[in-house]
Amino acid sequence: MNIIVIALLVFGLFFFLAGAIGIMRMPDFYSRLHPAGKLDTLATLAMVMGLAVYNLNQITLGTILISLKMFLIVFFVSLASPTATHTIVDAGMRAGLRHWTKKKQRG
Amino acid sequence: MRVIAFIIVCLTGALLLYGTTEFPDWGDPKSPASLHVSNYYIEKTYEDTHAPNFVTAVVTDYRGFDTMFETAVIFTAGLGCFLLLRDFREKKEHYYQHIPTGVILHLKDEKKSLPVGKEFGYMDKEWVPPDLINKTVCRILIPFIQIYALYVVAHGDYSPGGGFQGGVIFGSSLILLAISYDLKTLVKRIKERLLGIFAALGVLIYAGTGVLCLFMGGNFLDYGKLAPLLPGHSDHIRAYGMLVVEIGVGIAVMAVMTIIYINIVSEGRHDEGL
Repeated sequence: MNIIVIALLVFGLFFFLAGAIGIMRMPDFYSRLHPAGKLDTLATLAMVMGLAVYNLNQITLGTILISLKMFLIVFFVSLASPTATHTIVDAGMRAGLRHWTKKKQRG
Repeated sequence: MRVIAFIIVCLTGALLLYGTTEFPDWGDPKSPASLHVSNYYIEKTYEDTHAPNFVTAVVTDYRGFDTMFETAVIFTAGLGCFLLLRDFREKKEHYYQHIPTGVILHLKDEKKSLPVGKEFGYMDKEWVPPDLINKTVCRILIPFIQIYALYVVAHGDYSPGGGFQGGVIFGSSLILLAISYDLKTLVKRIKERLLGIFAALGVLIYAGTGVLCLFMGGNFLDYGKLAPLLPGHSDHIRAYGMLVVEIGVGIAVMAVMTIIYINIVSEGRHDEGL
């Protein structure tokens, strides 16, 4: 059981790290939103799943309920986070922000 | 110039870091903050009030006057926003949408207006169609946000939370409605008059609880004297009193948040905005 928990947490941490690096390293507004929106959702899913499994070490009604509540967090994050990303991209498009291209194509 | 600014920032930062060396350690029992009344709160709060969360007990019972005037400050903020920004003048130009065809009409004569109903609808100058994804997701999320806000208000004396937080969450759910649809949807659902009444009602609930305690023979905000009015065991009466004033705070904060948002985004006209 612990191995599964550790694997899920490390998986989640890896994606959080990749998302953070992506936000720092990507060249422009739209491509920075890609790791911010996508990897965070997956990483949250993995981390909370790990915590929910860790919480189930004794299977009683109480721990099962708490694990279900944790999955509610995942549900709402995975509903809200892509929508927020979509909205920010939409706002960028409406404000007329050009997407990034390689410099030689631009010239 | 930049170099001088950089040096000044570094010096100030070093000075602040130097200042922190004299702070007491984390959780130091001999630090000045934990010498006087903290011990009393930690040891006696449950005996005194039967509220498991003694932060709430300190905020709304031991220091109830402070929180009452904080609520009054929030009410004053909403009032100030209303008085400074609210603009009742008619607009010079009107935009209408002919609903069956979707054609947008622009009336430049300020005296003329079209009847708004089935045929014509209001239209904003900077109108953009609300995004379908946004609308759908917000329509799903808003009820859950509001339920969560009510939960936070209702559990203020049992778990972290309380009136201010719950009120802010509820207010932000209303603001989310205005952002995801448009401002008119929100103004149509919650009239300005109702928001004003709510903002005042919240403060009235708080202060009224205090006055009620006076009438029952105690001091102002002495919830223990309310025991004959409320059901349940009289030990828990102070926790109930806290719950009542938290509800008042929540209503006031919710209304004031929404008033401030509506007035700022529509420049006081309450017709169009974000």
